[in-house]
Parts: sequence; C-alpha cells; structure tokens
Amino acid sequence: MSKVVIETKDLTKRYKNGVMALQNLNLKIEEGDCVGYLGPNGAGKTTTIKILTNLIKPTSGHAYICGVDVNKKPKEALHCIGALVEVPGLYEYLTPYELLTYLGKVRRMSKTDINRRIGEVLRIVGIPAWQHKKIGSFSTGMAQRLLIAQAVLHEPKILILDEPVLGLDPKGIKDIRNIITRLCSENKTVFLSSHLLHEVGETCTKVVLLDKGKVISFDTVDNLKKMSKTHTISVELLEPPTKKQITEIRSIKLIEDINFAEEHLRIGFDGKRNTSSQILAELVSLGLKIISYHPQSMTLEDVYISIVSEERGVG
Amino acid sequence: MASLKTGIVEDFSHIYTSIKFEMQKHLKRKRLVIGLLLATAIPVLFYIIPKLWDVGFIGTPGLFLSTNLSFINILIIISSALFAGDAVSGEFERKTALLTFPTPQRRISIFVGKYCAALIAVSVLVSLYYLITMVEVMVIHGVNSVPHEIFTSYLLALLYGSSVLSLTFFFSSILRGVISSTLMGFFTLMMILPILSTLLMVARVEPWFIVTYAGGLITTVFGLPVGTGMTLGGGPPESQMFTLYQPDFTIGIAIMALYALLFFISSIVLAKRKDVE
Repeated sequence: MSKVVIETKDLTKRYKNGVMALQNLNLKIEEGDCVGYLGPNGAGKTTTIKILTNLIKPTSGHAYICGVDVNKKPKEALHCIGALVEVPGLYEYLTPYELLTYLGKVRRMSKTDINRRIGEVLRIVGIPAWQHKKIGSFSTGMAQRLLIAQAVLHEPKILILDEPVLGLDPKGIKDIRNIITRLCSENKTVFLSSHLLHEVGETCTKVVLLDKGKVISFDTVDNLKKMSKTHTISVELLEPPTKKQITEIRSIKLIEDINFAEEHLRIGFDGKRNTSSQILAELVSLGLKIISYHPQSMTLEDVYISIVSEERGVG
Repeated sequence: MASLKTGIVEDFSHIYTSIKFEMQKHLKRKRLVIGLLLATAIPVLFYIIPKLWDVGFIGTPGLFLSTNLSFINILIIISSALFAGDAVSGEFERKTALLTFPTPQRRISIFVGKYCAALIAVSVLVSLYYLITMVEVMVIHGVNSVPHEIFTSYLLALLYGSSVLSLTFFFSSILRGVISSTLMGFFTLMMILPILSTLLMVARVEPWFIVTYAGGLITTVFGLPVGTGMTLGGGPPESQMFTLYQPDFTIGIAIMALYALLFFISSIVLAKRKDVE
C-alpha cells in the first residue's frame, strides 16, 4: 500500500468576512500520485493550498505533509515540498541566480548543489540565458517559468502547484505541462490546482473535484474520460412532441436515454454514425418536424460541469 | 535533546541567511547607498559651510559635537523608514511572502533576520556619521580634543537606533500597506511624538516615557547650556513660561531599551500570526 503524503482531516476554513471556503475537507494523496485539484472559481482550491503551505491557518481540522501537521510543525512539514501558490511577487531588483541561491540556502542545499541546480532548473524552464539578468526585465511568462524553477530547485518529493500556467502563452503552457508530466513520470507526487480540466486531463492521473469547499468527486482521469465518451444528439423541433410521439420515441431501441424539454430533445446513443442516421430516420418517420439535429460527444468539461451541477442540484 | 540543539542551530543559520539576503536587497535597491550618502553629507556640511562662509566653527569640541550630532536622530529615523518601513508590510503587499513563507524555516527567522539586517544598516550609517564627526573635531580642535563622551553618545545613538527601528518595524507588522506603514512610522517619530513631548512640557510634565525625548540623551551627554526644569519665557505672568527638561540618563536608557524590546517582540509576534490571504 502506498504511503499517504498529503492528507487533510476535516479541514475547515471560514474567513473573517464570513465566507466558508472549506467545509470538513478530507483528502488523501498517495506517494507518486499526480493529482489534479479542480473546481470553479471560489471552490476553495487556493485556500486548501495555502493551508497546506502554512500561509494561512485553518479554522478547524488538520493538514499533514509527510505525516507532519503543517500548521503545528511547518518547518519540518515544508521540508519535502516545492510550492507555487497563486502568483507570488518577485524581487525585481534581484537576478534569478540571487533569488534561487537564497531559496537554496534556506533549504540547506550546499553551494555546489545550488549552483548545479540553478543551471539545471533554468534550462528546464527555458530561461538559461537569464540567470544574471534582473527579474524586473522579465515578461509575465518568464517570471512564471522562474517561479516553477524555484519550486523544483531542491528536487522536492512533493510538488504543490496552484494554477501554474496562469499568464503563459501557448508555448509556455505546453512547456510547463511537459515539465509537470516529466515530474509525474519521475514518481514525484504532484498536487496541481487548476480550473482548467483540459490541463489536468493532460498531466494528471487522478482528479479531485471541489465545489463550495467540499470534495464532490475523487476519481482517476481515465474514469472521467470514460464518462466523457457519452454521446448525445441534440434535436430541435418545430413544435413539442405529442404524448403519443413521446411514447413512440422512447420505444426506439437505438436510444439509450432521452430528455424532453418542450421543443428540445437530448438523446443518448452509442456514438456510431450509423446509429445516428437510423435514429434520425425513425424520428422523421414518426412525423416530427425537425429543425436541427446535432450528434455530439460529451467533453471532459461537460462531465465536470455535469458533476458540479448535479452536486448543486441544478437540472 | 540533540534534535532540539540541531533545530536551534538551524534556526540561527536561517536567521543568518535572512540577514545576508536582506543586506543584499538593501544594496540592490540602493537604499544603503542613499543612507550612506546622507550619513556622509550631513556631518560634512557642518564642516564645509562654516569654511565656505568663513564664519569659524562652533566654540568648543563638546558644543560642536552636540550641534552636529543633533541631526543623528533625524538620520536614524530616516534610515529606519528606509530599512524597516516596508520590511513586513512589503512582503504581504507585494506578495513576495507567497514565495518566501512556504519554505522550511520559521517565520520568526525571516523577521528576526530582517530586523537584524536593518539594525546593521542603521548602525553602519550611525558609525559613519560619528566617524566623520570625530575626524572633523580632530581637524578643527586637534587630535586629542575629542571628548570621551562621544563614545557614550555613540552607544546611546545605537540604542536609540534599535528602539526607533523596533517602533518602525511594529507599524510595518500591523499595517498591510507599504506606504501607510512607512509614513506611519516616519510621522510618529518625526512629528507626533515630538509634538506630544512639547505639549507635555508646556503642561510642565516631563515626557520621560517618550522615546524621542529619551533620544535627546545622544547630545545632552555633552552637557547642555540649560539645566533640567529650567523655565524660559518673557516676564510675567508665570503661565507664559516654558519649562525645559532634559532626559535622565538612567531612565532614558531604560525607556529606549524598553521600546526596543517591547516593540520588537510585539512586531515579531504580530508578523508571525499574520495570514497571507
């Protein structure tokens, strides 16, 4: 059985303004897991990460890194992590070399290791030539790359990343995604917060869905992808179907499930083109006046929205 | 026991790293250079101006020192604002705390390091100011003319520097904005406390508990032309008179030390408890 390296127990956070950001959050992330932490804005993702990195204190509950309570023994707990939380400010009058040297010293790295790793990480994030240039002259994307570099400088076992591709151009996003994928393949534990399902789907193996401070789903990306293979046909009619027509539509064997909403039908089917064509022929034969007919597949985003909506009780 | 010892050694090592990093920042931001320029320019002007105007220097070495050093208080307040005004608030406002706090070190180590670095910077400026002033006295009045009180005054200036720094650091810990915290510290020391001292003196109450009043010891150690409790003012009625006080040596030192310690501890506790929201 794998070792649990990130754990929260009944973690609750209520801010001074009364906002309940987390409600009895229970999470268990195992060693080597590459977990996406997904949720809409305000779901509590950053709050969780800030508690895990000891930037804020929980109202109640506990957060553990490598079995150590982060808020009670932060120095010990933060030893094995590299973190990128929100978009930190950078000392613009310093150079990456100066900043990374300081962070390396704080992490008790030797001078030789610091110099070696600075070269390596800046090469990994694609800014090796900027080692001795002032950070103030960096673009947003370069600054973001530097922030990733500082998180992996000391080769941490656990990487906690909060929206790491924020502000990056498409190439930057791809580069950062490759770095994360590589770290995942090196058996590092990655806890990646994002509101982009696509990003998580590309890099992680497991996904935690969070909404209103509660975990609503914790599954593998593969299972989510299986769900996303659900196929639907969106049909618009000139007038609503009669009761008789509804009964006849329901009896069509190729239809897996169906939702009626006035002139709109949402039909679930196996996704095959032939099936789609046969369903259309059957609907026409029932005398339905069809305005539009769109077979489509449910995307990962649709699955995500559907789970969140289901949890919120939105039809 | 061994792990406790290792932990303490590690904490001190983090403080040392933090001091070095802060000094590097003071240098890179040119703040140390600005401070050094001020610490050089003020005492040099006291030498150059009388020379240029050919008016001669102030009478005795003691008087020259007490006049020249009356500006060290201003230099200490300005340099404290420079080095500590945004020491804590800046980390929160500029969000650099998101970078430095999630690291395996106690927040106390970071803040103690910041305080020590600011104290070192202020001490360097104070030392330079005294060195230049002392050389001027030697040039004007001869090598052996430097009164021994200058060393007492120097130590008092360092103590005053630490108390002023603690107060500035305190404002930086309780306020979130860089500008508000820097201005609050600066105006409290430059205006609010001196005005309060004067008002108390008008009411014939000695402001012994105010740190800026205690800081007067830096120059009064050379001897003042007026004694404590002396009243000034033109003629009757008596209510028009103004009472001059000078800080008591022991009480003054105690007050400065108390300010230094109390505000330092308070600011560290407050900064440590602050959430990075």
